[in-house]
Amino acid sequence: MSDPAFLDVRQATKSFGATRVLDGVDLAVGKGEFVSLLGPSGCGKTTLLRLIAGLAAADSGRFRLDGQEIAALPPHKRDVGVVFQSYALFPHLTVAENIAFGLKAKGAPAGVIAETVKQFLGLVHMEALADRSVRALSGGQQQRVAVARALAVKPKLLLLDEPFSALDRKLRETMQIELRRLLRELAITAIFVTHDQDEALIMSDRIAVMNRGRIEQFETPEAIYARPATPFALEFVGLSTRIAGTVTAYDEAGFVTVDTPQGQLVARGRFAAGSPVLLGIRPERIRFGTEGGENRIAPVLRDIVFQGARVQAHFVSPDDRPILIETSAALPAGLAAGMPVPISFAAADTLAYPAEAA
Amino acid sequence: MNSLAGNRVIWLAVPALGFLAIFYAAPLFYLLARSFIGPNGFSIGLFTAFFADAYNWRVIGNTLRIALLVTLVCLTVGYPVALALARSKGLAQVILLTAIILPLSVGVVVKAFAWQIVLRRDGAIAKLLVSTGIWDEPQRLLFTEPGLVIGAANVFLPFMILPIYSVVKLIDPRLWEAGATLGASPLYRFRKIILPLTMPGLISGMAFVFSMSVSMFVIPSLLMGDRFQTLATLTGRSFLLMRNEALGSATAVVLLVLAVSIVVGSTWLSRRIGRSG
Repeated sequence: MSDPAFLDVRQATKSFGATRVLDGVDLAVGKGEFVSLLGPSGCGKTTLLRLIAGLAAADSGRFRLDGQEIAALPPHKRDVGVVFQSYALFPHLTVAENIAFGLKAKGAPAGVIAETVKQFLGLVHMEALADRSVRALSGGQQQRVAVARALAVKPKLLLLDEPFSALDRKLRETMQIELRRLLRELAITAIFVTHDQDEALIMSDRIAVMNRGRIEQFETPEAIYARPATPFALEFVGLSTRIAGTVTAYDEAGFVTVDTPQGQLVARGRFAAGSPVLLGIRPERIRFGTEGGENRIAPVLRDIVFQGARVQAHFVSPDDRPILIETSAALPAGLAAGMPVPISFAAADTLAYPAEAA
Repeated sequence: MNSLAGNRVIWLAVPALGFLAIFYAAPLFYLLARSFIGPNGFSIGLFTAFFADAYNWRVIGNTLRIALLVTLVCLTVGYPVALALARSKGLAQVILLTAIILPLSVGVVVKAFAWQIVLRRDGAIAKLLVSTGIWDEPQRLLFTEPGLVIGAANVFLPFMILPIYSVVKLIDPRLWEAGATLGASPLYRFRKIILPLTMPGLISGMAFVFSMSVSMFVIPSLLMGDRFQTLATLTGRSFLLMRNEALGSATAVVLLVLAVSIVVGSTWLSRRIGRSG
């Protein structure tokens, strides 16, 4: 990005006792962008969020928001809103009073408060419940109030800490789309913490894949899905078949030949001969038959799982590793579990990573 | 089904209720009823005589003033302690809790005698105040109202701290953080989040301490002596020294009515304020 980032975090580091939770994280978010921090629990994503909000102090690192250094500011002077995982609604206040809380604290005139509360009640479709105690609300309603409350003070930046994790699946999908639309309409810059890859893929402009206190890849959902930068990103985002092997040859075009228990496979990557590597293939890139590309194998079919619009075929390799195909096309006739089935995939779709020391 | 189960559970209270009815309510009623019996049957003569005497109004004033002051001191000292206790962890919390609860196992007579020593002209408090320059020369706190308030507040402090602590403990710490991210200053967050949410504990703590201080007998007897009477000490004297059971019953009734109405009234009032504010 050519313009200075709206939020610019440099080398953020935080330890709890001997555990380093954040290990020199850089994060630059543009104005109006919706960024997800995606990673397993304990990867440091919530800690990064709390450092940005000022709810915890970083051991070191620079934090700039809208051109202003914020590291030394207490949370109530940062203009950073937070939607908490538990929503943290004020239980002694009504829906409208919760939304008005920040405006009242900042001393806004009564007229402005009433108007803003009305506006945000409308935006989250809670007008009818304005005078209800928040204790009487369902999970989805509480979440809406929490979002409205955080947005009503018009923060420069909105942080969301797994706001959908308490909702059931169906409601979650509706709320994700609703929230995404609301934030776009209001042109809010937002950072969203989640461990749910689908959620991150659906909602984000860009995803920061976090692992062990670091950001491993920070790109658009499409780029992360198509070209995971690390084996962790490959495994954490989307499904994949992973095959271990050793490089036997490489060429100038950026392809390597890899010796695997499935036989010789060609993959994209630059490695010296003899390097142990891990190959990854997305399930929808593998085809039945031999027309799918230069890599052709014939693993044993174990199971076929019908998923509505798509079908998953599970195979098992000679060394007992799972291989997965996902397709929306018709399956070849005469498939039965236990038989070897020829399948194929292109070298260009086969990604090679340095094998991690186990 | 549910209401049936609920009704059955109520029977579990019967043994306690029976015990209280036979050994507490009945004697109390008998005692109180005597204050309404004159030479010719039912009479409120005792009360008209009681309220006609200016001295008794001073006694009522003493009783309420001391109880109010003790409650205020306990509140100011106890509230911050309750917050600290609820937010402390591990060993610090154990030490704090022990420091608050352990003194309850020391009898009130022992404590009152200990305070006699502390409040003397050459006692610890006088020495402290002189050495810090607040007092020019040592003064006696014993047998003064401030001394009584300090001693009583010490004895009743746990009954203020514990109810508030039990309420603070239940408050989600995220509420405080949420208030901060909405731009509210710490003072504003305290006033609008912590204070209203701790109000139930505050009310029960104040009710406990007030009703205990309004009816305390041993502490004022030992720290103030006979020149200073409260309704409770007067009741005690009527029965023990003056053998005037009728007067004792009358003062007991006045004390009971005052204490109950103030506790119930202030509870009702603060709940209303808590709801509307």
